[in-house]
Amino acid sequence: MDERKTGQANPDAVTSEPELKAMAAEASRALAALDAARLEELAVSCEALSRSLAAESGASELRRELARQAREAEDDLAAFGRVLEATRANLSVMKRLREMRFGELEYQARSGAGD
Amino acid sequence: MGTINAAMSVIGGALDADQEALSVVSNNVANANTPGYTQEKPNWQENPPITIGGIQIGDGVMETGATSQRDRVLQERLDQQQQLAAASSTRLTALNNIQALFTPDSGSSSAAAGDIGSDVTSFFDSFSSLEAAPTDNALREQVLSSASTLAGDISSAANSLNGQSAALSQAATGIATQVNSLTGAIAQLNLQIESTSPKADAGTLEDQRQQDLSQLSQLIGINQVTTENNGLTVTTTSGQLLVSEGQSFQLTTGTVNGATDFFLGGADDTSQLASGGGQLGGYLTARSVDIPNALASLDQLAYSISTSVNTQNNAGIDLDGATGTAANPLNIFNAPAQVAGSAASMTVVMTDPNQIAAATAGKGTGDNSNAVVLAGLANQTIVNGQTPVNYYSNFVSTLGSTVLEVQTENTAQNASVTQLQTQNNALSRVNLNDEAAAMSTLETSYQAASQVFTLLNTVMASALNLGVETAVA
Repeated sequence: MDERKTGQANPDAVTSEPELKAMAAEASRALAALDAARLEELAVSCEALSRSLAAESGASELRRELARQAREAEDDLAAFGRVLEATRANLSVMKRLREMRFGELEYQARSGAGD
Repeated sequence: MGTINAAMSVIGGALDADQEALSVVSNNVANANTPGYTQEKPNWQENPPITIGGIQIGDGVMETGATSQRDRVLQERLDQQQQLAAASSTRLTALNNIQALFTPDSGSSSAAAGDIGSDVTSFFDSFSSLEAAPTDNALREQVLSSASTLAGDISSAANSLNGQSAALSQAATGIATQVNSLTGAIAQLNLQIESTSPKADAGTLEDQRQQDLSQLSQLIGINQVTTENNGLTVTTTSGQLLVSEGQSFQLTTGTVNGATDFFLGGADDTSQLASGGGQLGGYLTARSVDIPNALASLDQLAYSISTSVNTQNNAGIDLDGATGTAANPLNIFNAPAQVAGSAASMTVVMTDPNQIAAATAGKGTGDNSNAVVLAGLANQTIVNGQTPVNYYSNFVSTLGSTVLEVQTENTAQNASVTQLQTQNNALSRVNLNDEAAAMSTLETSYQAASQVFTLLNTVMASALNLGVETAVA
C-alpha cells in the first residue's frame, strides 16, 4: 500500500515528507519507466526543497535532518546517476537509429524521383 | 468491355491485396502473445498503370508480402544491455550469499561465521582476563574455548566460501549446456533463413532466431554480425566463434588446477567469459574474483593471528615452567605453512590449558607479563599493517561496498533494459509518428531526470556541507 492510500485510510496520520533516499530511488524508477510527468513532479519538489534549504541559515534543524538524509541517500543518488548515464547512451542510440532510418527514407525518395 | 474488365481487375486486385493484408493483421493478432513475435506490416506496391485507347488507367495495388517491424541496431543494443544486466544480477546474488556469511548473528551468542569480528575480540579479551589470575584453570580453559570458537568460525566461513565456489562452477556448467543448445538452434535457423529468405526479412524464422539470441544474451556475452544471405555470425565478446552460418561451436568444460574452466575451439576462454557478460559472466566473476578475494582476506587474518599468537606463546613459559621448542612447540593454533588455505585449515591444536604461556621466562609460573603481551596483540598491527579487528572490519566494509557498487550497476542496467524494451515495443508495434512520440518521451524524460539529478545533487551537497556546495556524486 503506498503512502497516499495510507493517508486516505487514516486521515489523522501525519503526512511526512518523503526522504531524499526515497526521492532518488523514485527518480530512478520513473526514469526507467520513462515517466516524464513524474520526473517533472520530482523536479518541482526538489526545487521547493532547494529553496527551503537556501532560506535556512546556519546549522538549523532542517539542515541537520537533510544532512542525515543526504548521507543515507548517497548510494541511491549514485544509482540514479548511473541510470541517467544509461539513458543518455540509449538516447544516443535512438537518435542515431532515427537518423539512419530517415536517411533510408530520403534515399528511397530520391531513388524513386530518379526513376 | 475492356474498360469494365480492367476496372474489375483493379478492384479485384485491391480486394486480393486487402485479403492478404487482413491475413497479415490476423497473423499479428493470433501471435500477439507469442514471445519474441515481431509484428508484420503488409508491403503495398502500386501496379504499373495500363493505357487503353490513350487513356491511362491505374492498376491499383498489390500486396507483395509482409515485413517484420524490427530494428537490428536497437535489438542488438537491447541484447547487449541484457547481457550486462544478467551478469550483474547473477553476480549480485552470489555477492549477497557471500555477504550473508559475514553478517553477525543478531541476538544470539552462538558461534557463526558472521561473528568473526566479535570472536577476535573475545579471544584477545580472554587473555586480558587471564592477566588477573594467570594460574586460574577456568580462565585458561576460557582462552582455549575462545580460540576454538574463533578458529571454528573462520574455517567454517572459508569452507562455506569453497562450497559456494563449487556451486557457482556447477551453475556455470549448466549455463554452458544451455548455450550449446541455443547456438545449435541458431545455426539451424541460419540455414533455413539463408535458403528461404536470403534477401528479405524471414518473418517467423527471424523471430525465432531473435528469440534465441535474446535468450543467449541472458546467458553469455555475445557479438553478432549479419552476413550475406541473411545469415548470422555469433561470437563471444572476446571474438571466439559460437555460430558461423550453419555451424555451431560447442562450449566445453575441463578441470584446471581443481577448478572448472570453459573452452571454446580448444582454448581456455574462462577469464574472457568472466568479463564478457551474461549469467555465465556473473557466475565466473563471482567465482574467480569475489570468492577468492574474500578467501584471501580470511586466509590473511587466520595466518596472521595464528602465527603471531603461536610465536608469542612460544616466547613465554607455561604453568609447568616449560617453554616452546621446535620439537615441542607451545602452539595454540595449528601452524600454517603459508597464507593460502590458512583459514580453511585453522584449528586449535592445544588441548592442555596449562600450556598457555602466561608468564615470561625467569619470572616464575605465576607471572602474567606474557599474557599481557598476548592480550596486547589485539592492538598491534599484526595483519597486513592493521590490527586484527580493524582488518576484519575493513574486509567486511569493502565487501559491503562491492555489493553496493554491483547493486548500483544492476539498477542502472535493468533501467536501461526497461527503457530499450519500451522503445523496441514502440518501434515494432506502431507507426512512424508514434515512434517519434516515443523518442520524444525518452528525450523529455532524460531532460527532466537531468534536472532532478542536478537539483538533488545540489540539495545533498548543500545539506552535507552546511552551505558549501560540492559534488557528492
